[in-house]
Amino acid sequence: MCDHTKNIYKPQLATIEAMIDETPDVRTLRLVFQDEAVRESFSFRAGQFAEYSAFGAGESTFCIASSPTRKGYIECCFRATGRVTEALRRLEVGETIGVRGPYGNSFPIESFFGKNLVFVAGGIALPPLRTVIWNCLDWRDKFGDITIVYGARTEADLVYKHELKEWQERGDVRLVKTVDPGGNSPGWDGKVGFVPTILEEAAPAAENTIGLVCGPPIMIKFTLPVLEKLGFKDDSIYTTLENRMKCGLGKCGRCNVGNVYVCKDGPVFTAAQVKGMPQEF
Amino acid sequence: MTKTITEQKLRSLMDLLLKEGRRVVAPRQAGSIVLYEPIDSGEQLVLGIMPRRSAKETFFPLCETILTYGKDGNGVMVSDVDAGAFPETILVGAPPCDAAAPAVLDAVFSWDYNDEFFLERRKKTIIIGLACTAADDACFCTAVGLSPRDDKGSDLFLTPVAGGGYLCDAVTKKGKVFLDTYASFLAGGEAKPLPSAEPAATPLDLAGIKDWLESNFESPLWQEFADRCAGCGACAFLCPVCHCFDIVDEGTETKGARRKSWDACGFGKFTNHASGHNPRDIQNKRYRNRIMHKFKYYQDKFGQTLCTGCGRCVRSCPVGIDIRAVLEEIQAKP
Repeated sequence: MCDHTKNIYKPQLATIEAMIDETPDVRTLRLVFQDEAVRESFSFRAGQFAEYSAFGAGESTFCIASSPTRKGYIECCFRATGRVTEALRRLEVGETIGVRGPYGNSFPIESFFGKNLVFVAGGIALPPLRTVIWNCLDWRDKFGDITIVYGARTEADLVYKHELKEWQERGDVRLVKTVDPGGNSPGWDGKVGFVPTILEEAAPAAENTIGLVCGPPIMIKFTLPVLEKLGFKDDSIYTTLENRMKCGLGKCGRCNVGNVYVCKDGPVFTAAQVKGMPQEF
Repeated sequence: MTKTITEQKLRSLMDLLLKEGRRVVAPRQAGSIVLYEPIDSGEQLVLGIMPRRSAKETFFPLCETILTYGKDGNGVMVSDVDAGAFPETILVGAPPCDAAAPAVLDAVFSWDYNDEFFLERRKKTIIIGLACTAADDACFCTAVGLSPRDDKGSDLFLTPVAGGGYLCDAVTKKGKVFLDTYASFLAGGEAKPLPSAEPAATPLDLAGIKDWLESNFESPLWQEFADRCAGCGACAFLCPVCHCFDIVDEGTETKGARRKSWDACGFGKFTNHASGHNPRDIQNKRYRNRIMHKFKYYQDKFGQTLCTGCGRCVRSCPVGIDIRAVLEEIQAKP
């Protein structure tokens, strides 16, 4: 926690330095803290999240989607779907938003050193893995094979299209991209099929491999059995839970799954941990 | 040595505290009901009647400003609320179920991150608890480990005595300092406490209930328990230890305040995701969370039960859900 003010609910101010429209309704904001000391001291780990405010509308919870290895800014990525996200979307480059965080636990990336990595993401859930992907690519020699399986409903729904291209062109990453049946245009150069099916087809080796999965609940539900079938153990599969939050600090009472506070005990959990929770997420 | 205070001296003491600039919060008549509210004179103090709402708002207001913001040509300015300026407060006349509650909430409001809004008020408040001499048929403090004469959570504790007046015991160091400061209002000597109230409730097997909750997340009983629940949230708002809250902005893009306000896990949209997915999409899942949070999760996290047996949820539920009946039914299960 880099915020040393006493008021735990008080955000830091950040300027929107750049924005990218990933899809018609999903936007990335690149943010730079206005206070120089905060800019210098702000540090986070891949997997942590923050509360972003559009003043007058309120706060919304998103992961920090940029990599901790890229200093001087953070990025978030959101779909405009409610009061706060619509207000965030109305802001222009150069305008101010509030940021509280970083909160929650993170992916234990150091414990993945020497292993292969398989990232599996669906739709708008690539951002929480994209922070890890870039973190690992920036430390590329620490890992074995890196596979990314990413899918969305349609081509238009794929986020970070420019980066997918970059990953596709790198010799040291295997990118398998897919869209749901019917979601492809005639020129589509990826797979067609649901993420769990395409993952099974891609069949990454489970030996000495960590699986990292983020997606809508339905995708996770069908992806975990596939990983299991491929030979992945529950304690080498990581995912994030994305419950609704307000405080992000373990106080406001809404993000719990059983006695687990997603905001403090998570959002990163192993599949083994998730299976041990009451099925209420 | 036992100290006593007459009712008149107690009222005079409150007058003095008010004169000294303290905020005094006490049960007082508000129209046809009694509520904890700041009093302007010792005469307004109503003793021995359980206020309609709990005393939690002395520390955790129904709605409070946590920052203000403004935007002009130079950018956005965020201004803090000065928690240091919260007034020194005396909470007087709280029955054991209300007096014990704030200490239960210390755990969640200081867990890792300190919520200064709650904790500053706690630090600046002296709680003068009052033993109960009358219970109604919804009272059940004795079922959850408290009693009508329990001084837990009080800094000072008053016990009504025969012939009027109160025994006055210091419970904490803070209470002792307070008593020493205002010793002139007290008298020494013996006095016979009035018999305390006797709620009809027998102690619940809280450990056994927790065990059942542990292994019965999917029990069909949840539907039965919550079938009638209207999701109105009255139980949560009246509860001395329910503490869920929302954070909302009020104002425009250029000027306004961010506020923390009470919320309730019984409300349908409490856990609703942006995508429309809702992990607790039906009322019985929400009611289950309420019971689980009080009798299992809070125990797991902080080693305490999130219920003081005040009975307000029983008195005020519009559809007549009685948490005691729910707990007794759970307790009766193998």
